[in-house]
Amino acid sequence: MAQIQNRLTPFFENITFDREDNELVLNFGPQHPSAHGQLRLMLHLQQEQIVKAHPDIGYLHRGMEKMAENMIYNEFMPTTDRMDYIASSSNNYGFALAVEKLIGLEVPRRAKVIRMMLLEINRMMSHLFWLATTALDIGAMTIFLFVFREREYLMDIIEGYCGARLTHSAVRIGGVPLDIQDSFIAQLKDFLEKLPQNIKDYEDLLDSNRIWRMRMEEVGHIPTEMALSWGCSGPMLRASGVAWDIRKEEPYELYDEVEFNVPYSDVGDNFARYRIYMEEMRETAKILWQTIDMYAECVKNGQTELMAHAPKYISAPKLDIMTQNYSLMQHFVLVTQGMRPPVGEVYVATESPKGELGYFINSQGGPYPYRLKLRAPSFYHTGILTDMLPGCYIPDVVSIIGTTNIVFGEVDR
Amino acid sequence: MRTYKPKDDVQKKAYYTDRFYVAPQVPKSDVESDEVFAKDLEAIKAKFEVLDAYIQVEQMVVWIKPEDNYGVIELMRDELEYTQLSELSAIDFIAQRDEFEIFYQMLSMNKRKRVRIKMSIKNGQAVNSVEKLFRSADWSEREMYDMFGIVANGHPFMKRILMPYDWQGHPLLKSYPLQGDEFAAWYEVDKIFGKEARDIVGPELRDTSRVDRYDSTRFARLGHEVPFGAEVKGDEPVTEQSYQEEGGVFLVKKLDKASSVVVDDPQR
Amino acid sequence: MAQHKINYTQDGGLPVALTTIDKVANWGRSNSLWAMTYGLACCGIEMMAAGASRYDFDRFGTIFRASPRQSDVMIVAGTLTKKHSEFIKRLYDQMTEPRWVISMGSCANTGGMFNTYATVQGVDRIIPVDLYLPGCAPRPETLQYGVMLLQKKIRANKAGRAQKSKRLM
Repeated sequence: MAQIQNRLTPFFENITFDREDNELVLNFGPQHPSAHGQLRLMLHLQQEQIVKAHPDIGYLHRGMEKMAENMIYNEFMPTTDRMDYIASSSNNYGFALAVEKLIGLEVPRRAKVIRMMLLEINRMMSHLFWLATTALDIGAMTIFLFVFREREYLMDIIEGYCGARLTHSAVRIGGVPLDIQDSFIAQLKDFLEKLPQNIKDYEDLLDSNRIWRMRMEEVGHIPTEMALSWGCSGPMLRASGVAWDIRKEEPYELYDEVEFNVPYSDVGDNFARYRIYMEEMRETAKILWQTIDMYAECVKNGQTELMAHAPKYISAPKLDIMTQNYSLMQHFVLVTQGMRPPVGEVYVATESPKGELGYFINSQGGPYPYRLKLRAPSFYHTGILTDMLPGCYIPDVVSIIGTTNIVFGEVDR
Repeated sequence: MRTYKPKDDVQKKAYYTDRFYVAPQVPKSDVESDEVFAKDLEAIKAKFEVLDAYIQVEQMVVWIKPEDNYGVIELMRDELEYTQLSELSAIDFIAQRDEFEIFYQMLSMNKRKRVRIKMSIKNGQAVNSVEKLFRSADWSEREMYDMFGIVANGHPFMKRILMPYDWQGHPLLKSYPLQGDEFAAWYEVDKIFGKEARDIVGPELRDTSRVDRYDSTRFARLGHEVPFGAEVKGDEPVTEQSYQEEGGVFLVKKLDKASSVVVDDPQR
Repeated sequence: MAQHKINYTQDGGLPVALTTIDKVANWGRSNSLWAMTYGLACCGIEMMAAGASRYDFDRFGTIFRASPRQSDVMIVAGTLTKKHSEFIKRLYDQMTEPRWVISMGSCANTGGMFNTYATVQGVDRIIPVDLYLPGCAPRPETLQYGVMLLQKKIRANKAGRAQKSKRLM
């Protein structure tokens, strides 16, 4: 086959490095090991200080919103996995909740408990992963190895439930597809019993580590006004002094029945964010302990329903499909043509591990969403780098990107 | 005769709809039914013209005129305590009535309420940028421009954000096909190798279910491998897949299954 | 004088190993495959997991390098978009020969589920690929098996000869 050379011109051909005001332009990414994906930053430098930062995104734009417009509602569920791929059940859940609100569906209690378990396990996985990568970026390799060990245990639990390690699709519109497996509770308890000691290990290694503190404290400060104006949410907002957790303030699922605290800080720097992630892991463990009890209660009360009963929208249980003609017909129509939600709009926000994950759905009564807008928290958390980085120094960039906890699957969608 | 497919709306359509099917509506309730929303709506109505207002799925939807958007959002931020603009985007209704619908999703943390401000603009009309009020609109408006081609007046950096700067077309318009137009199909080839390499690289294979078992240039035949490009006859001998050659490898140990230990408990 | 007799044909044999240059070179190449971190999307997370505690890539001699100039194999893990396509070519060109490419996951193989305007339909449209790993996302075990197969492929090649152009360009 013919050998042809590429046409790419040297990249910085049209950028002048030596400005008259002694300003240097530095390109960071899009493929940088500590960019947490495909972030590209154009940094204008005055010696080592950044005077202007220009984040460039879109290197992982895969057209998910366009895909959603060409897919029936159930078909889109696996695509949501690939948004925030660290904690994919939270995306599944957000989408399922939005469609359920649109069609006005009440989910059985047992399904709710299982969903909460999945959501919190995902939150734990996401926070652990955040700690691992951020510590690795800053140079603490030990933490990376420690944390991945614990994360694999959680992966095992999830894998036992849905068969996938990363892309779960474990939530369905109207409930969950399966009951949890027999070993689930035992494994989870096993993990949760060891967790406090594990978190303590991480903290022992990091909290009084001089390098860690120097790179975290008083770096990447976000004032409250800036955080609000940029639409920050989740730990980013809570670190800046606003105790806003959607689980607490606008409870969905059974979050109004469980007891947990919302850690927040008014310092707003990297270290505050790190502390909030660590505290949130403890709170998540607390919620998981409570969901285990709630699940036992469901079993005791004989609540076995896992999917909502709504023949217009949701397929009947497999047993009915196999034995009853009408359920089979309904199932056939729902699979081949898809459900047709009512005409209307809905915006539903859930607290994903990164922040406020919102789904805006405009339905025109057809089997395909007319418009689906994914409100990803990381999108705005990347945007804030524009205002946050000026004034920082080059080594701070990596630790700031680390603590913003951005995932490019959902920034670019 | 070939069936006519409209060019202005290439979104997938349901292949069958019952003739007598009337789509139900998501229930809308009156704004008066909620005290907080009623008060907010009063405040907006006092200064601006409100075309329609209702509560849908626990959130108030307020329809305003497009030229009022800056004023309304400023009012909501400064006087009504709506401290965050969570989302902003557009919906394409060009095929139906040559319009875009734009929505601003706002959140008040003190009141724990969410409000959606909506407005319709004509195709080709620009909107006022609200970037001065909420910095989050900076990127949202750029995304809206990128995806729909709606320009925001007064925006400091109105350029594409998700697609490359030299991209043609606005992907989320209903007239833009899901799998892209010709420019999109050849974008990376044209950019890297030049247009004349199109013949060498070949077109994209978009049919995900296409498998040609006699095509040895693109598909491996697991267990019956043939060299790249060789003709497949169908009588290939079985090839065992193993990670080491027969007879072992110089200085590399081979896994001995009999002497290895299987770990049952991953948390040991 | 007692003659100390050593039987070189038994018990450990000669203290000398005889081999060919080919074998030594390929042995070195195949057992120190330094991979370039090219985590693009979800598969990148599994690639990290393969390098972390439980799966431990280091025992294969596979160490992740951040620079293309120090790496032998590029593991393209994740969706390659049209906007990014230019950069993968640049980085591939910067790698020194001999170089190999593993395309990890369906997105990198064929575009996978993202059959849209923004996704390159297979990374082999841009750079030649040696190994395709199926899965979405492939498990770390898959990646490790893939690396072992790549090692086998390297051992089968003649070390001295310049690499032939593989698939595309």
